Amino acid sequence: MAEIGRVRIRIPSSIKQGDIVKVRVLVIHPMEIVQRKDGKPVDKNYHFINRVVVTYLDHDIAQFETSQSISENPFFAFAFKAVEPGVLKVTFLDTHGGKYEGTAEIKFS
Amino acid sequence: MTRRRPRTGAWLAVALTVSLAAACVRNETKSPSAGLPPAPWVSRAIPEAKGEIQTLSDGKKQAVRYKGWATEDFSQYRTYAYDDADTLLPIGKAAMPAIPGDPKTGRSLFLNRTLGPCTGCHLIQGADVWPAGNVGRDLSAFGDRNAPDEYVFNLIYDARQFFPETTMPPWGSAGVLKPEDIVHLVAFLQTQKSPAPPEKDAERDPNTRPKPRGFGDNLDATNNPAVLRAERAEALWAKKGMTGKGCADCHAGGPLKAMRGVAARYPQYVALYRRVMSIEDFLTAHAPENTGVPLLAGSPDNVDLTMLIKMASNGMPVSIDLSSAENAAALGRGKATFYKKVGRRNHACADCHTVANGRGGEKFLGGRLLGNAEAGFTRHFPTWRTSQADVWDMRKRMQWCMTPLGTNMLAADAVEYAELELYLTFFDRGKPISVPGIRH
Amino acid sequence: MAPPLSETRLTRRALLQALGAAGLCSLAAPDPGILTLALAQGNPGRLEPEESVDATMKRLFGTQPIKDGSSVIKLDLPLIAENGAVVPVSVEMTAPQTPQSHVKAIYIISDKNRRPLTAKFTLSPPLGYPYVATNLRLGESTDVRAVAQMSDGSLLMAKREVKVTVGGCGG
Repeated sequence: MAEIGRVRIRIPSSIKQGDIVKVRVLVIHPMEIVQRKDGKPVDKNYHFINRVVVTYLDHDIAQFETSQSISENPFFAFAFKAVEPGVLKVTFLDTHGGKYEGTAEIKFS
Repeated sequence: MTRRRPRTGAWLAVALTVSLAAACVRNETKSPSAGLPPAPWVSRAIPEAKGEIQTLSDGKKQAVRYKGWATEDFSQYRTYAYDDADTLLPIGKAAMPAIPGDPKTGRSLFLNRTLGPCTGCHLIQGADVWPAGNVGRDLSAFGDRNAPDEYVFNLIYDARQFFPETTMPPWGSAGVLKPEDIVHLVAFLQTQKSPAPPEKDAERDPNTRPKPRGFGDNLDATNNPAVLRAERAEALWAKKGMTGKGCADCHAGGPLKAMRGVAARYPQYVALYRRVMSIEDFLTAHAPENTGVPLLAGSPDNVDLTMLIKMASNGMPVSIDLSSAENAAALGRGKATFYKKVGRRNHACADCHTVANGRGGEKFLGGRLLGNAEAGFTRHFPTWRTSQADVWDMRKRMQWCMTPLGTNMLAADAVEYAELELYLTFFDRGKPISVPGIRH
Repeated sequence: MAPPLSETRLTRRALLQALGAAGLCSLAAPDPGILTLALAQGNPGRLEPEESVDATMKRLFGTQPIKDGSSVIKLDLPLIAENGAVVPVSVEMTAPQTPQSHVKAIYIISDKNRRPLTAKFTLSPPLGYPYVATNLRLGESTDVRAVAQMSDGSLLMAKREVKVTVGGCGG
């Protein structure tokens, strides 16, 4: 089992300034689903990612609020406009205080 | 507590019989038992994967399988073991009970997932029928034939009475359906008359249903979690065992370099262990002997290292060697296994996984499209299974099939499975390895 | 003489200038301190109540009219999902993004899930293009809808049916 919180980001190999860039990201996480006992949901603090923040050049440009209905080992894709070279960061926050980050260096060719 | 131990001599006798039955072996050898280990292989699998049967305190038997899998013991039905002398389930016949058949009861039996369900193979009328398969005939207009009740009863009881080569399970003879159940099924089937209601839904009918689109690029780490998991195995490569050595101590340059080309030749007969082995099998013996690390068959460490070793050959063509007497004989036995009918359902792999003679390959079994083994798929194993959120190797996939067949599974590292895997790999010769795969 | 601008301020300023030049700079960008705020508040998972999709829609959007967005929202989903554990979905909006009219948020709602609200994607002009994708868990065959909330507050919706196959040889 890969460790919880491992992140992989994919960006195109060649980016020109001003391009709209599609980003793919995956994080290893159980995304614990609701258990049921005697037909009723068990109330507890389930372990899943419920917030994703996309940061570009230190500016938070997108936020995803996610639920247990997102698959285990969540995958996300989004687009952003590559205006400047710099760091693109995706941060995952889970319900147990976990914080996992993946970064990609945006360079123009 | 454990399965009865087979005697060495029995292997030879059965191997001869089995090999003679495999008429189409390319390299017919003088010794069809070539390549079999001299004594039964002692499994080095994790407890869940050994195929053991436990006897409980009340005398009842229970199978030890993976967590969440059925525990029913199928000892009375034929297995894939070479020494399994059990004969085929005899063709049965029963008198049709003289009770009134209720079509409503029959329909709910037809859809019952704990029995068949019959809809796994047969389409019937009804917008609620989802998802039916088309391995068997479309029965939506079966009632038009006005077939005699007694005939239909016996067809369901044991279709082999009329069609010796049928792939339809012998529901009555195997005790899955009671004669009373079958009476209700007959009554229901006789109500299936044309015209069928107009089809509102192209997907409902398996004959017009689109094929599954798959899960995308298996080698993209942002699509296939198994790729990230395989990277973790690089740490296993360096890890030192009790001997003070790790893989890296003998295999220099890192796993992807040191192992390049190795997996392309597997499965193969390994002279040191006198049996055919896959990479998974080989690790169970090679690792403890050289590093002291167990790497039991079915363990995550074994699966992950196997993935890594096979990835080292990604892009290279599968190049199993069939010229040796041992590999050729093993291929023949593997083929015989592929065509051997086993279990309560009296099925052979070929019944679902080939396309000739109206068999199930590339048709829908319920909602699942059955793979055609002759199109090859071993080059993608181990694979990520999205329905399990886990990586499975070829053996776990084989063992998974055993329960619905109604046959006890063998140990993950059983020689029978290795030789079956060799046969399956035959259809991937020359095709590029691409591990890990990703599928349902 | 003014002290030299720090690297961070330079890039942010350049970003804002660039966005302004591209016509994408907007006051509607998410607060730069989202992450800081989220970490400060903690992030506990409460078990949300089960509800019908109608209740979810009412809770999120009240009585606000929801327009048919099928001509501008490209909602991609498989017709049939082999299993409910991993169902890929992507949402793309084809209408041009201007400072006057752009997508603020995209909601993904799975009608028959016990908690239909699956995800909310809050976007901002620096993204440049409204496109999001993820993998869903669906309990059964269901409609899946994408609701786009525009900068002027209006709502657009597209939906598709996904049939989920269950079981098979051993599952």
